[in-house]
Amino acid sequence: MQTSSFASKLNMASPLSHTLLQSSSLVAQGAEARVYKSSLTIGGPPFLLKHRFNKQYRHPSLDASLTRSRVAGEARALLKCLRSGVNVPGVRFVDASEGILGIEWIDGLSVRRLLPGGTEDEEDLDGESIHDPQAKLSAHGISVGNLMSLIGIELAKMHAADIIHGDLTTSNMMLRHLTKFQVPVGSSDSLQLVLIDFGLSYHSALVEDKAVDLYVLERAFASTHPESEPLFASVLQAYADRLGKEWSGVKRRLDDVRLRGRKRSMVG
Amino acid sequence: MRERTRKIPPELSTGRTYFALGLEGSANKLGAGVIKHLLDGTSVVLSNLRHTYITPPGEGFQPRDTALHHREWAIRLIDDSLKKAGISVHDLDCICYTKGPGMGAPLQSVALVARTLSMLYSKPLVGVNHCVGHIEMGREITGAQNPIVLYVSGGNTQVIAYSRQCYRIFGETLDIAVGNCLDRFARVINLSNDPSPGYNIEQTAKLGKRLVPLPYTTKGMDVSLSGILTSIEAYTKDKKFRPNGALDGENENSNIFTPADLCFSLQETVFAMLVEITERAMAHIGSKEVLIVGGVGCNERLQEMMGIMAKERGGQVFATDERFCIDNGIMIAQAGLLAFRTGQTTSLEDSTCTQRYRTDEVHVAWRV
Repeated sequence: MQTSSFASKLNMASPLSHTLLQSSSLVAQGAEARVYKSSLTIGGPPFLLKHRFNKQYRHPSLDASLTRSRVAGEARALLKCLRSGVNVPGVRFVDASEGILGIEWIDGLSVRRLLPGGTEDEEDLDGESIHDPQAKLSAHGISVGNLMSLIGIELAKMHAADIIHGDLTTSNMMLRHLTKFQVPVGSSDSLQLVLIDFGLSYHSALVEDKAVDLYVLERAFASTHPESEPLFASVLQAYADRLGKEWSGVKRRLDDVRLRGRKRSMVG
Repeated sequence: MRERTRKIPPELSTGRTYFALGLEGSANKLGAGVIKHLLDGTSVVLSNLRHTYITPPGEGFQPRDTALHHREWAIRLIDDSLKKAGISVHDLDCICYTKGPGMGAPLQSVALVARTLSMLYSKPLVGVNHCVGHIEMGREITGAQNPIVLYVSGGNTQVIAYSRQCYRIFGETLDIAVGNCLDRFARVINLSNDPSPGYNIEQTAKLGKRLVPLPYTTKGMDVSLSGILTSIEAYTKDKKFRPNGALDGENENSNIFTPADLCFSLQETVFAMLVEITERAMAHIGSKEVLIVGGVGCNERLQEMMGIMAKERGGQVFATDERFCIDNGIMIAQAGLLAFRTGQTTSLEDSTCTQRYRTDEVHVAWRV
């Protein structure tokens, strides 16, 4: 397999990856991993190290096999996305058995923080700005509708490549400004939406999996951003336009998936 | 009853004490309890009684028989709980009952009792969402302020967080509940239902050593458990399975597995999934507190795993013991009385019950 041979080429001896980890600075601790900012040379271009540390609560052998398969799976999915032109961070470094993945550093803000409801401290703000979806976006020179369609387009590109993200939330999307050297030829858009965190992703061509993927995002929207139904609707619109004729199948299944979940009201 | 105190939100403060009777019967436990809200905003559990319908090993509880059990025990249990609380029905401010979710027939019999009491003594009724009852009692007992709630029981598996007067469901099971998964496996290997199948799984699992591979199915913040049940059931038909422990001449290296190993594997896998989705919700929201409620919540291995996770994140776990974890009347009284004090009552015409009643359908008027 092309991807696995690539992964093994990048695979370095484990002490080395730990040396690298020690020389990096901790940026954040997510649910799954600690995220470090690292660099191979002093003052060199930064990249991101994602260390899936041992989960002490999990049985060691269960933990080891999950970690290994998730790191390898994440690298594999990122490479597949890159080949298909989906905006994702590039892969720099893989050490699956140690749970370490090195990827391109994305300079930007998560979509969650750009939308109302996405930050904890916003209760202090005045009432209007909470409900105005445009409030936090103006500074970035993008309308909320454009942001939603950027999301829809990236998702459609990813699903067209048969990659299922598995954990779509607004926290797992970043908006970055490209420098003039990074802007792709023939494009005037300097803003790019980047999908991140492919830790739960997998390969599937099934309509079912794509619909569930969208449903997970819909739920994340609803639980994080109050009154966001129109926002998600415009994500779907852009997704539908980009995906083309495959959409009708996904839509039908999405309607089906929405009826799942326990103890839903059966009225109507 | 042990007394627990906690401040009640300021918007509820009015100058008198309140009493409420709570009636619970959404599954095989019938519960009755009396709660008192004091002037200074604290509350006291005056009584909390429960009677459980226990079926023989290998059998689950059928709705019809469970309803019969509840009907048989309701009056005695309510009488006892009022006696123990040392108050009369006339002192009550309201009668709270479980409106749903749960099994239809048992719910109906308890709602009928509540309705009758309400009419006999002219007391207002309050229909309570079972899940919200669990959450409110958990908060009350543990003092957790604004936790991520993992609600795990025989009928429900949800990761919940409070936001804008609503308990939002962040993740849940896509098929069967975790308690259902454990109970059904207990039935397969013929464990006793006394005191509960889940308890016996927990005790059996303590003897297990070998971890057999099972599906690990987290999907975002949701989990799927039905495939795990199928998979673990298949192990009991494997020729390496020893239902009565290892045979003569077989030792730890013999590549065999016993019921204890299967219970152990099931718990380790399923609980790891639950802790994982809870952790993801914590990271997503930025919360440091976890509250575990529901019948499976009194499993000490689950509490331990959650504790380790929370410690790694610099957070804290709140859990209660079987009196408040397993379905009980007092939690219905607590949630019902909070609703009553914000002016929510259920009229006789609306005093129905429903098998499907989602946690996020409730307007949580008593929290800011």
